[in-house]
Amino acid sequence: MSRKLLNTLSLLKLTGILLSVGLAIGCGQDGIKVYTVSKESAPPTEMSAVPEHAAPTSGTQLKWKTPDGWQEIPPGTMRVASFKVTGADGKQADVSVIPLPGSAGGDFSNVNRWRGQVGLAPVTEEEFAKLTQPVEIAGQPGALYEAVGDSGCILAAIQHREGTVWFFKMTGDGSLVTQVKPVFVEFLKSVQFVTGETMPVAVPEVVSNGKPNWSVPTGWQEVSGGQFLVAKFVITGTGGAQAGVNVSSSASDGGGLAANVNRWRKQLGLSELTGEELAKSVQSLGPVTLVEMVGQDARTSQPAALVGAMVSQAGQMWFYKLMGEAKVVAAQKTAFIQFVQGVKY
Amino acid sequence: MLDRLAIFFTSLRLTVVLLALGLVLVFWGTMAQVQIGLYQAQNEFFRSFFIYWSPVDSGWRIPIFPGGYLIGGMLLANLVVYNLRFDQERKRNLGLIAIHIGVGLLLIGQLLTDVFSTESMLHLRNGETKNYSEASSHFELAVVDKTEATTDRVIAIPQDRLQRQEEIRQADLPFSIRVHTFYNNSTLAEKEQEGFTQINATAGIGAGAWWRELPREAEMDRRDMPSGIVELLTPQGSLGSYLVSAYLNQPQVVDFNGRRYELRLRLERFYKPFQLRLVEFRHDKYPGTDIPKNFSSRVRVQRPDTGEDREVLIYMNNPLRYDGDTYYQASFDQDNQGTVLQVVHNPSWLTPYFACILVGLGLLVQFLRHLFEFATKHNAS
Repeated sequence: MSRKLLNTLSLLKLTGILLSVGLAIGCGQDGIKVYTVSKESAPPTEMSAVPEHAAPTSGTQLKWKTPDGWQEIPPGTMRVASFKVTGADGKQADVSVIPLPGSAGGDFSNVNRWRGQVGLAPVTEEEFAKLTQPVEIAGQPGALYEAVGDSGCILAAIQHREGTVWFFKMTGDGSLVTQVKPVFVEFLKSVQFVTGETMPVAVPEVVSNGKPNWSVPTGWQEVSGGQFLVAKFVITGTGGAQAGVNVSSSASDGGGLAANVNRWRKQLGLSELTGEELAKSVQSLGPVTLVEMVGQDARTSQPAALVGAMVSQAGQMWFYKLMGEAKVVAAQKTAFIQFVQGVKY
Repeated sequence: MLDRLAIFFTSLRLTVVLLALGLVLVFWGTMAQVQIGLYQAQNEFFRSFFIYWSPVDSGWRIPIFPGGYLIGGMLLANLVVYNLRFDQERKRNLGLIAIHIGVGLLLIGQLLTDVFSTESMLHLRNGETKNYSEASSHFELAVVDKTEATTDRVIAIPQDRLQRQEEIRQADLPFSIRVHTFYNNSTLAEKEQEGFTQINATAGIGAGAWWRELPREAEMDRRDMPSGIVELLTPQGSLGSYLVSAYLNQPQVVDFNGRRYELRLRLERFYKPFQLRLVEFRHDKYPGTDIPKNFSSRVRVQRPDTGEDREVLIYMNNPLRYDGDTYYQASFDQDNQGTVLQVVHNPSWLTPYFACILVGLGLLVQFLRHLFEFATKHNAS
């Protein structure tokens, strides 16, 4: 056999082998998997009696003893428990319990993030180790960190359990947080984890808890608003122009008038207002505080208008926001105000 | 032309150059793990044809060094062409042929392991039963049809597909899924914080929340926490844009055409035709000390289709090999009430054993042959 023919055959064989390997690899990389499984089994019997103060998470139930003077409030999306602490002088603090899977960014990064939030400089890893105070959480060791800065105080306890990081965090006025620190430590001791496989908890599409009675104006279509909103409506005007109405509520004053007006201004790309300017921008219609603004939607960069309303009712602040294309907002403004004024809490 | 190609691929110089490049690659890839972590280093250095360099803020990817697939592939081609080209001349040299086949098998075996093997974790609490294990770092978007009473239909879209941020259609779903944004690592917040942007979700849990993309985790004891926005599209219109995130422990419910679906970004699951129940985890210590003496998991293997039901003890260096998987004792819960088993599925696990036996036999034949020739010459002289 000639050398040339030998070379040709060798390369052809090699090409065949490489193609086969390539095909084998290609067939192995299946993208989307589709399969049928039995429904997950019900929780073990010891899980059947869910305690009164119990928050469901994936596979773990949490129970605790609420300290005197702490007011339990509905937890948000990421929280499994939430409390409001009010001091003798009316100062307030917020307590949250949040489980996050994995390392949740790492304790070192989280502590430095919290320090930044209260206006403190970040610490080095060596300094971080010195900041760690041992604390007992549900009979197991945890770590407690305290950050007192100009803009508030954060007291946070961290415990790593079974691939989940549990954050117990108190945020608020420095003097109040320092004062109730012993109570917070006792609260951590009272926490109990009851572990077991639980059925996934379906999230309601709209929070119906505490939803007041109202009369929805014609042309408003209610859609799912997610857990942060009490309700959401979509309004379609002439030529397909759209606007939306969001209804949400917050315990206490929800951050105050200035913070919320400026939050809305920011959504329209407007600068923050303070003092007299802020006072001028709002008007009172009985219990309703109304604010109007025109700017550019920060999400879409399209011109947009916003009419916002705030109503304080039984220790809760209710927020109503009509926002969208200016012509729809102008056309719906009267209906929106009537809607807000007609709500029965 | 073919002549030149064949000469190039049969060149011993090529072998030496490739082995030298391989040495550099292994050293460089190992050092890079410090900065970018094990998994990213594996992907960038070893599971790639080239190592790329990107000038800052340019968006370019310039290949600067051959990757593992290219060096391994060239070595294999070098070996195969050499043997095919000289098979006439060398067919009597059985030792050399065995060595070359063994080395080739090692290279192919490693490629097959790389492509077909999976590693996952099975976490069980005492008394808990599971019929699936979970990946340690790779996520999937599970769309589960919950309508039926006894079974769930699962459509699991891997993270790689979500990263492409495209519209995904699947015959089992009455809607398509358009991935608008996907962050491989992220953090979420309930309220506005510096550096965070508002999540552009119109439905479900994420509407009104805030998020921020994070650099990928390089530490071995940390995990990326991906999040994304997916929109469900039907011929009649959109069902809404949902936030899907590893941070969300709960699935989100979507009702459409009388059927109920759940959306959840979760660790990729590997379902088994059998289930394992943790009977007891033991963490024994030497009396009077905290020095571990033994970690073991007594598990019950239950297989409905065969009626199999038996107990197995898994402990260090004594894994359970069952149905193509190997279950190693890997970790345990701090309260000693739960165990973590590493589940390795590697269909080509025997390949390196065969390869080493072949190379060993080949070397033996070669040495014996030379010894025999030397002895014969010595006797003759």
